[in-house]
Amino acid sequence: MASSSSIALKDMVPAAENNINTRFILLEKRNTSTRTMESQGKQNRACLELVADETTVVHFQLWGEECDAFEVGDSIRLTKGIFSYDRSKQVVLRAGKRGKAEKVGEFTLAFVETPNMSEIRWGPDPNNPKR
Amino acid sequence: MASELFRIAPYEAENPTGVSLREAFVLLQNQLKPPFPLTIPSSPEYLQLNRAILFGVLVEPHLAKTHFIHLNAIVTDGYKFFVSLLLKIVTESYPKILESVRVQLIWVTSELIDVSSIGVDNLLISLMRQIVGGDYSNWNLWLCMELLKVLLAKWDWLLEEPFVLTSALFTYLRLLADHYRLSGTTQLDALKRMEIDFCIRVLKEQFSLCLRIGRDLVRLLQDLGHIPEFRAIWKELLLNPGEFSAPGFLDISQLYHSRTSSRYLLLRITPDMENQLRFLLTYVKLGRQKRYQMWFARKFLCGPERETIICDLVRFICCAHHPPNEILQSDIVPRWAIIGWLLTCCRKNHVQANVKLALLYDWLFFDEKIDNIMNIEPAILLMVNSIPQYIDITCNLLEFLFLLMDNYDIERKDVIAQGVSAAFGNLVRKGVVHSLDALTSCNELSPLLKERLANIFPCLESGVSEAHPICVPCGSLLPLNLPSPSSMKRQTSVSSEQRTPICVPCGSLPPLNLPSPPSTERQTAVSSEQRTPLCVSLPPLNLPSPSSTERQTSVSNSSFKRAKDSFVCFPPTLEFAKSIKHGKADISFK
Repeated sequence: MASSSSIALKDMVPAAENNINTRFILLEKRNTSTRTMESQGKQNRACLELVADETTVVHFQLWGEECDAFEVGDSIRLTKGIFSYDRSKQVVLRAGKRGKAEKVGEFTLAFVETPNMSEIRWGPDPNNPKR
Repeated sequence: MASELFRIAPYEAENPTGVSLREAFVLLQNQLKPPFPLTIPSSPEYLQLNRAILFGVLVEPHLAKTHFIHLNAIVTDGYKFFVSLLLKIVTESYPKILESVRVQLIWVTSELIDVSSIGVDNLLISLMRQIVGGDYSNWNLWLCMELLKVLLAKWDWLLEEPFVLTSALFTYLRLLADHYRLSGTTQLDALKRMEIDFCIRVLKEQFSLCLRIGRDLVRLLQDLGHIPEFRAIWKELLLNPGEFSAPGFLDISQLYHSRTSSRYLLLRITPDMENQLRFLLTYVKLGRQKRYQMWFARKFLCGPERETIICDLVRFICCAHHPPNEILQSDIVPRWAIIGWLLTCCRKNHVQANVKLALLYDWLFFDEKIDNIMNIEPAILLMVNSIPQYIDITCNLLEFLFLLMDNYDIERKDVIAQGVSAAFGNLVRKGVVHSLDALTSCNELSPLLKERLANIFPCLESGVSEAHPICVPCGSLLPLNLPSPSSMKRQTSVSSEQRTPICVPCGSLPPLNLPSPPSTERQTAVSSEQRTPLCVSLPPLNLPSPSSTERQTSVSNSSFKRAKDSFVCFPPTLEFAKSIKHGKADISFK
């Protein structure tokens, strides 16, 4: 079901690009807060969810209607997602404007509960100035 | 007219099968109207046409007949591909199918039976599996009713499909046990009536085929003993087995000694439940199963009525999912752990009793020549691995096992004693457990339980086979129902009135031999000695319906106290006792 460029969560590196194609399962829904989206100056819901695959765990950020779209135990495919720093300087995974998150199944995905990619402290890659 | 097959939520990916059917339909739309082309389609065209026609049948009810005639005209493979598409949709995605499409699904299944299509038997079985136990919502009961109507309408075909027939019997006997408790609409009453009539008809007319189900048939029938039509069946089963016109069938113990195929034990769980449980038992490590358990419970055990499926889940795990050695030796969560969890999901006493019976059922009649040790492995491991942290579970299960040995079929206690002894023996001999020392030298188990275990031991220690007479005395040395010293002690913890009304009349009669074909002895006894039917008709435990009072009992109490709350030694017997007492017994035999 995953496209050929699908990667494991542990292989993600923070970048300001829509380059994440991956698959994971939703473990927990966490804080929902109301935030303002800069471009439109409107209030919109944002929530943070804990998702995982066989390799690691990460925080997945959802906006607006996305917050209600998924339930714990859902297996989700993310295409053209972004793994980058959000406002609170935490690295999170999100669909972004150009990405898409879709439920593709339930339950039947193995996962681990540690480590958490969002809690790793990232440093610049000495070989590649963009990373 | 639907333009889709499935209900897709926002942010949900499309169903690939649905997409392929719709695309074929859109592509070939022009070819689906008469006049149909007379050219023979090539193989890929044929498959596309099948897909297109199927989509048309499902979403265009007003044109469905035309589409099906078209299919009749072009079919070259006995409808095999067409049915395989339907089977895939039903098995993988039934819950998501739109209601209007479900109606068409039933219609086309019926049509496919009429043309004797290849694989339609599997389609029917798959549809039956989609009837969710413990779910009394409209569309679930609708499916239940519609499938039954199809089966009744295609009776002649059904008679030529023994596995479908017996699967249907299994399904509807099980559903009836739940439905009979419900009261309400006339529609529900009509469904119950239809279910009863169907099951009785199959039992009476095709009993030889019914025997193929094996011992679980008894387990299903015992939950229906309070229904008048089934009480009559029980009477005949026990007193007049010849009445069933099943050659060679002489006694219920023949059913006991017939292991139920795992194919039947899949029937009462949906493919979704099956997939999730198999995933859990194949890929999830012990210690990591908590979230999965939560998700499973949230989806399938979401409400008090749904508990009823737990016994079906346990039966499936014990009998239809046997992990290979690599898994058994790995750190993947073992079956006994999942069963232990499922036991904690039972809120009601009678549900828990049913679940324990499901767990221990194959123990009662274990015969290494026909039974599989993997069916009995989860129970012993649950008992042993619950020491010492969850010792209550060990006590609970052992007490229940002994309760079953004493009460399940009082007339055939020796059969059961032999079975249980063989079960223990095989588990030790084949190394599932090194020995029963964990149990017999456990300080937290009561001396009574350990003494009872020791009674089974002579058979093990002397290394004799299960058939050795030493094992038999567990039942037959004692006159029927006169309590053994150990159970006497247990009885003091239980008020005496529970067992007396049921068992004393039997205890005062000499042990009855297993019925032989000349049952004239018994019949004359019936006319002269009205107490006889009580003993003879002391069939298996009928685990109670929720209408029986449920009382909270602490786990550490002897389960004989729970026995009082949970069990009746077969209601018909109790009723016979009462009715005979009041001179109202009907003991005429047809």
